[in-house]
Amino acid sequence: MPGAGIGSGMSRVVVGDRSLGHRSVLSAYLPVAAVAVLLGFVPVVIGDSRTYMGLAITALTFGAYACGFNVIFGSTGQLFLCLGALAGVGGYGSALLADRADLPFLVTIPMAAAIAAVVGGVFSWISVRRSLGVIFTGIVTLTFSLGFGNLLLGQRDLTGGETGLLIAASQDTFLRDLVPAYYVFLGMLIGYLLLFRWLQRSHFGWAFRALRDDEMTAELAGIDVARFRVWAGLIGSAMLGLVGAIHAHHNGFINPTTFEFGRVDVRTLVILAFGGIGTLMGPVIGTVSFAVVDELIRDLRQLRIAVEGGILIVLFLGFRGGVGPAVVSLYHRFRARTGRTGS
Amino acid sequence: MLAVFFDGIVGGLQLGVLAVGLSLLYGLGGVLNLAHGALAVSAAIVASLAMDAGWPAVPAAVVGVLVAAAIGLGLDQTIMRPVYRLRGESRVLLSLLLTLGAAFAIDGLLGWRYPFGGLSLRIGGGPVTILGVRMRSGSLLASAIAITAIGALTWLLRRTRTGRAVRSVIQDEVGAQLVGINPGRVRTLIFTLSAALAGLVAITQSMTAPVSVSSGFSLTILALIVTVVGGLGSAPGALLAGLLLGIVNALSSFYIGTYITAIILLAAAALTILVRPAGLLGRAD
Repeated sequence: MPGAGIGSGMSRVVVGDRSLGHRSVLSAYLPVAAVAVLLGFVPVVIGDSRTYMGLAITALTFGAYACGFNVIFGSTGQLFLCLGALAGVGGYGSALLADRADLPFLVTIPMAAAIAAVVGGVFSWISVRRSLGVIFTGIVTLTFSLGFGNLLLGQRDLTGGETGLLIAASQDTFLRDLVPAYYVFLGMLIGYLLLFRWLQRSHFGWAFRALRDDEMTAELAGIDVARFRVWAGLIGSAMLGLVGAIHAHHNGFINPTTFEFGRVDVRTLVILAFGGIGTLMGPVIGTVSFAVVDELIRDLRQLRIAVEGGILIVLFLGFRGGVGPAVVSLYHRFRARTGRTGS
Repeated sequence: MLAVFFDGIVGGLQLGVLAVGLSLLYGLGGVLNLAHGALAVSAAIVASLAMDAGWPAVPAAVVGVLVAAAIGLGLDQTIMRPVYRLRGESRVLLSLLLTLGAAFAIDGLLGWRYPFGGLSLRIGGGPVTILGVRMRSGSLLASAIAITAIGALTWLLRRTRTGRAVRSVIQDEVGAQLVGINPGRVRTLIFTLSAALAGLVAITQSMTAPVSVSSGFSLTILALIVTVVGGLGSAPGALLAGLLLGIVNALSSFYIGTYITAIILLAAAALTILVRPAGLLGRAD
């Protein structure tokens, strides 16, 4: 993220490529399998506690949000400040299609995700077309966040305004039970991680890394920067919309605060920044640590927003690469030193 | 119709003052301060606390504005330092993320400590008739304060050495440095001033409608919209756009409805970015 000259940018592309490209398929996907196994046992341990299962599901939800944001921001540096709104497009879209248009709710979920993908893709396309910088992409998406909230409040007949919507279609289905819902969310998170790893290892990943490190060089090397940006916007927004839709059906009730900027965006940003922006494990490390912190400061619930703000500041001042990677590099430095003295 | 129009001007003047600091700051350092609204709200809360403690309104308001300025100065000296060490896109990005963090830290603390906090100043005196329209005295006082602030700012920027320094840094930072201007000090000054102006707007706005502890985020967005429409970095642009959008805001809330008005304002910003990213009076580069 910090500005790199053309030279350093190019060397970083090579390093990034080597570390991923030469790895075998097995070792590349091993971390994802480890996460699946570890998190798969969580209901065995805490399955009886409604409180803890609720917290675990929330953590998975935010982990999935962070994965979507990781594709958009972590890979291509597009600062979308409308994560909650895109999730809301998914949530409200699916709820309305199911309850008003009488479609089966399982069908409406991918439909709503597709709508979110189109919305996010349009933002990406516009910002690429008009070559808007970070600042304008941020402002346009931030205004969309607020506009979406106002739209929900204003279209009272359709959205129920601030009282919100009770979703009838998914009542008494597996999504409302805690343990099955946990595995649905876990499956989604694992799917997102696999998708992210697959993207990283594909042509996409190669192009993403090149254009994140140095856009000019990437373009000169013949990478269609615009196309990859729009794809990242589309895929990431679809991911966010899908989380929003499933979250809505699991909850059974949505209102404008469910997808509020202050609720979804800030937290997702904190989680991804903590875990490591642009890294595979960032969303998982971030959301697990955040769930623990959240539980520790439970007595200070009302202070949570302030704490999140504080964490955001500390993270971006101190650990711009994320706390996870910082610990890993510390470990490597430590090992390198002890290795040298040993030989 | 005329009454609604006048209300629009009253609101527009304040929007202009709210946005002008944000715009100058972007022009100076290429940074955006998303904690702008949070600073405004802190002024309102401090003023209301002082008044609860028995202070008269005027010193309470002054203390509120000073506290906002002090928080602004504090932010500039702490979290903005590393921001200015970066260049280009990374600088904008880091400023957005850090001030977003600051906004939530301030909003969260205030919301936790004073969940029902807010400021609503009642200005005495009956309505005054202007061109056949009866105007509340609160609106008139708010406008008078806003116009005075705009006048003082114009004088500062146009007539003083400091103002010349500010304008030269906006035009060319390296050039300004070459003639012995310290851009860091100019930025600190403008950051503090912009925080004070944000605080002032919170005070004047509370003369017509209450400012609550949760208004921070929407104030920031309003300021951003006005800044964008006026042209990032342009002080006259921010004032003009403030007036324009204030009138649009009043007319459309009266004739169409508040929720749609918010969407109209947001659309205005989005359209400006798409059609003319430099804004009304911004430099196209």
